[in-house]
Amino acid sequence: MKKDLIVSLVLLAGVISLYLSLGYMDDPRAANFPRVIIIIMGILSALLLLQSVYLKKPESAGGERFPFGRFLICFFMIIVYFIFMEALGFYLSAFLFFIVVTFTLGKSDLTARTAVMRVIIGGVFTGILFLLFNVLLAVQTPKGLLL
Amino acid sequence: MAEFLHYFPQALSFTNLLTLILGVIGGLVLGATPGLSPTMAVALLVPFTFHMDPATGLILLGAVYTATVAGGAISAILINIPGAPANIATLLDGHPMALQGRAQKALYVCFISSLVGGLIGMVIMILFTPPLARIALKFGPPEMFWIAIFGISVMAGLSSGSILKGLLGGMFGLLISTIGYSPLLGTPRFVYHDVLTGGVAIVPALIGLFAIPQVFALVESLGSKLERPDFKPEKGILFKTIAENLKMVKSLSIGSIVGSIIGIIPGAGGQVAGLIAYDQAKKFSKNPESFGTGNPEGVAAAESANNAMVGPSLIPLLTLSIPGSPTAAVLLGGLLIHGLFPGPDLFISHASITYTFIASLVLAQIAMCIFGIILSRYSYMVMSVPNLFMIAAVTILAVYGTYSVQNSFDDVIVMFTLGTLMYIGRKFGFSPAPVVLGIILGPIAEDNFLKGKLIADTDVGLFSYFFTGSMNMVIILLCVASIGYSVYGEIRAYRKAKEALV
Repeated sequence: MKKDLIVSLVLLAGVISLYLSLGYMDDPRAANFPRVIIIIMGILSALLLLQSVYLKKPESAGGERFPFGRFLICFFMIIVYFIFMEALGFYLSAFLFFIVVTFTLGKSDLTARTAVMRVIIGGVFTGILFLLFNVLLAVQTPKGLLL
Repeated sequence: MAEFLHYFPQALSFTNLLTLILGVIGGLVLGATPGLSPTMAVALLVPFTFHMDPATGLILLGAVYTATVAGGAISAILINIPGAPANIATLLDGHPMALQGRAQKALYVCFISSLVGGLIGMVIMILFTPPLARIALKFGPPEMFWIAIFGISVMAGLSSGSILKGLLGGMFGLLISTIGYSPLLGTPRFVYHDVLTGGVAIVPALIGLFAIPQVFALVESLGSKLERPDFKPEKGILFKTIAENLKMVKSLSIGSIVGSIIGIIPGAGGQVAGLIAYDQAKKFSKNPESFGTGNPEGVAAAESANNAMVGPSLIPLLTLSIPGSPTAAVLLGGLLIHGLFPGPDLFISHASITYTFIASLVLAQIAMCIFGIILSRYSYMVMSVPNLFMIAAVTILAVYGTYSVQNSFDDVIVMFTLGTLMYIGRKFGFSPAPVVLGIILGPIAEDNFLKGKLIADTDVGLFSYFFTGSMNMVIILLCVASIGYSVYGEIRAYRKAKEALV
């Protein structure tokens, strides 16, 4: 299988570099346990490589195309959410994230009605979080502009 | 049994009972929601229990665990998508019943049978857990080391299509657990960035590995439509169904016995229990041809089996740290963040918490049946929650859940990095459960390996200390059998696939 071949080669490269990095540890005795694990990982990766070369499983039919654009948008929205969480505070950033995600990823069926619904649901969801964390559990949340 | 009865009233306190009911309702809804796995649901909850009293926190996790297994049957019956692998056998007769307009009856049979099976499983758990914990008292460092390895080998075979990838996942988890400072020497290991100084904690790993890949999977599935049958709640059939259901003695007995036995075997899981019970109920039935066409006996056998499995699956978890399913592995993480280590100590030093937790599991079975029956009338609404909202909600809960444990953004970064890596790993056939178990059992394995090495160096030598002795040999043989069985299964599947091509 092509996928297994790629993954086994990547793993072998990772295992070799990790094994070499063990030599740089301050106390060699601290490397004893990780060394055993890395050696076992090396053996398993080699077995996976052999399996991918000699035991070819029938390839499954290709499914739908991977929505790379949608995945990247979501990935970056989460990163931006992390960055702004401390500045805006937990509740404001959570509400804005909810709105931005539902508007951006669901723009195909965005109408005035669905937009209002999403804002209301986002508000209710944030309100429930506030009740749960601040009132019931009394836990600390990142403070920002408002809460 | 006496301890169980002694601590039972503690589970009935107002806070515990309220937590249990909320956990059951939440678990039923989460189990029924397509796209949300029960394991992810429990993983998301773990950090919030950190702020609770340990007993209350565990009650919440136990209630959600119990209810998600039964809740998963709702989507299996209504839209032919099992909420959890344990519900695969349920859809064989449950969905045909829904298509015939008998969805309400199928849901009632499901919850009543789950209660019967669940209670029998709990009795088995209460009777067998303390004696097994006493056996664990005799374990020294080499046995504990092998037990950790056995746990990983079981999970490797259980949750991945390839035993090699499962074992690689487990080893990767063990390696992650060594990040940070060496417990014995205080030397930094693999600290390539400040974020990794404190090592990788359990909660960020749990949430990252289970929730983030799920978020990305939901993003992938946006736009795909699910087929939903017309669901009209039928009125006045509850008591008739209860009477009919309790007459299905054969199916309920087969399901409960099979589920209890399979549950005790680490790694076998609810999926196997449901399918074996279904098969046996069909073989023993006077009308085997009616199975698969909407026979309530099929639903009763499958559901009593997968819920009977819940209690016994916690026996190896609470006594030896070996979870019987990926969700139980997450539950193990929940125990550890409260400083509760599986083994005899759990039943001696923490008896109050442990027995209150066990008592709450019994109550959770009853609550699951009552609220399952009530909620089944509205289950169609749960099916209609758009993936778009779940993407936003799960991400927010994952981020805050991770942050809240130590008020640390470093943990959030670790969580998201691990989650993204796992999402890519899933594309290549890797599963999160062995990685999580590796991270959880890593410190146990390393600690006992190093202790054992110190003793062995001054005594009989490393090989004799770790590879001789009856208990060592039994556990090593179990590891070999667990891996061997998975290899055999893979070879058989490979041959079948090859024959099908010819």
